[in-house]
Amino acid sequence: MAYYILKRLLAMIPTLLGVAVLIFVLLRVVPGDVVEARYLAQGSQFQSQDLMDQERKKLGLDQPLWKQFTTWMAGLARLDFGLSMWTGAPITEEIKLRFALSLQLAIMASTIATLLAIPLGILAAVKQDSWVDYAVRVFSIAGLAMPSFWLGILMILTMLIFFKWLPPMVFTPLWVDPWENLAQLIWPALAVGYRYSAVGTRMMRSAMLEVLREDYIRTARAKGLWLKLILSRHALKNAILPVLTIISLEFAFLLGGLVVTEQVFNLNGLGMLFVEGISRRDYTLVQALVMLVATAFLCVNFLVDIAYAWLDPRIRYR
Amino acid sequence: MAVTPRTVEELTRAAAPRSQAIGAVLDFIRQRPLGALGGAIILAMAVVAATAGLLAPFDPLETDYAAMLAAPDASHWLGTDAYGRDVLSRIIYGSRTALMVGLGASFIGATLGAVIGVGSAYFGGRIDLVVSRVMDVFFAFPVIILALAVVAILGTGLGNVILAIATPMVPRCARVVRSSALSIRELPYVDAARAAGFGHRRIILRHMLPNVMAPLLIMATAFLGEAILLEASLSFLGLGVQEPIAAWGLMLRGAAVEFAETAPWMAIFPGLAISLGVFGFNLFGDSLRDALDPKLRTQ
Repeated sequence: MAYYILKRLLAMIPTLLGVAVLIFVLLRVVPGDVVEARYLAQGSQFQSQDLMDQERKKLGLDQPLWKQFTTWMAGLARLDFGLSMWTGAPITEEIKLRFALSLQLAIMASTIATLLAIPLGILAAVKQDSWVDYAVRVFSIAGLAMPSFWLGILMILTMLIFFKWLPPMVFTPLWVDPWENLAQLIWPALAVGYRYSAVGTRMMRSAMLEVLREDYIRTARAKGLWLKLILSRHALKNAILPVLTIISLEFAFLLGGLVVTEQVFNLNGLGMLFVEGISRRDYTLVQALVMLVATAFLCVNFLVDIAYAWLDPRIRYR
Repeated sequence: MAVTPRTVEELTRAAAPRSQAIGAVLDFIRQRPLGALGGAIILAMAVVAATAGLLAPFDPLETDYAAMLAAPDASHWLGTDAYGRDVLSRIIYGSRTALMVGLGASFIGATLGAVIGVGSAYFGGRIDLVVSRVMDVFFAFPVIILALAVVAILGTGLGNVILAIATPMVPRCARVVRSSALSIRELPYVDAARAAGFGHRRIILRHMLPNVMAPLLIMATAFLGEAILLEASLSFLGLGVQEPIAAWGLMLRGAAVEFAETAPWMAIFPGLAISLGVFGFNLFGDSLRDALDPKLRTQ
């Protein structure tokens, strides 16, 4: 087992290196750079070439690409993300606050998705091809079909028109004022959680259907066990793994991928930071964000695999 | 020349394929009512897109400053937007954008993904290893972030948005196709084709690709709805299709949120159109998967 864990951890390195190369190259292909973006933002397009070159020199943009890349890599190896090219502040500082928000939102949305998906999926599987099954499937496919940002607009609209109330627009950390914090984050969490529950519900339904056909379930039924007991003791344990997998894999992407939902609810999360970073050509910031999300994804992937190997004795780790 | 009277056999033989096709459609409706509903929605969307010029009561680009933010009434059924453009007409024309992006992105993504996936499985060895590693790298990016990066490079606009949405689809498609192509590679007829001296291209395109069509088709249908959603998201951020083109996501941007309280029709109806369209594709795709993939067959 220890060997397997070590092997999997080492296997993450080439993938992360690939991600680093890809985002590094992609950003350099995007036309313009941070110096140009800043002058454009200030409205003065006719800056002297000298000034711009000085600026680039200060940021290290005059260095050859391979040198920029190795400098960045050397920093990463020491867990030093460097300074934001736009604000000049350390990137760890820039990310810290937004990370708290995005992490909390991702946890809340995943929790909501799990709480919806498991019971609904079981219900649909047990009542297969009945109207209950159809209703659950329509509910979950509708969740996949509705853009979560539109769901967000509808939520805000409903609260505004019927309750004359709007969720708070400024982020308060959970430990400062939990009530204020939840009043703001519960809505985007619901909008996103509903959407992600759909994937889980469908997975739960099909996994459950598969398990219910197994011989040991038939045996349990033949023994005269209650359906409830069969479901909770025998079927659920075997059917739940793929559902938890899919929800945890989504979790990593919820961290950085909620660009549009954050926009609707006016949240200052990692997704918005990413869009800002790209439009400002803030190479260092975008690179750091992408590495963060990719690492989170690979770690979750790794944890899921370990959990599988641990929970399911049939899986051999080599 | 006189028309020769046809025999009964000839008539039935001519009619058989058609009645068989109708029968298959009827079977599909009977066995998979949800899938049929999805198919009907897609069909309706295609008809609306094709006949937009006839159906739309107004020019979708025509501004009418006398009727800005007008509530739904007899002439503007779904109201007007901040420029006095008719919301219904813009939704009708918007179905063209949605279908174009959905079909375009799925087609490009599925085709490239299939070629890469089959090629990777066929050549195996080091090529397969490298391709799989590169795909792993792409998987570590959230879909929308990959699409945003491509838009940042290529710029906005319909064609670029299609490419941006197709990009994240390529690795996903390639992975699915690769795994089914791996099993096909070992089958005797591929060996036979190789023994017959056919080139790599011919074996990949003529012998292997047709046999991974089922999973490919399932992927592509599932991706159609997602592509429409992704286009709406990009346009909503202002990084997709650009004004004044009628696109559903674009209609939800800016004024729709600003005036949500006084003119809610601007925010409600385009979102409904997106949801209904994607809902149709998802329902249909789900049933198609059930019908084509015997392992998942539930009946």
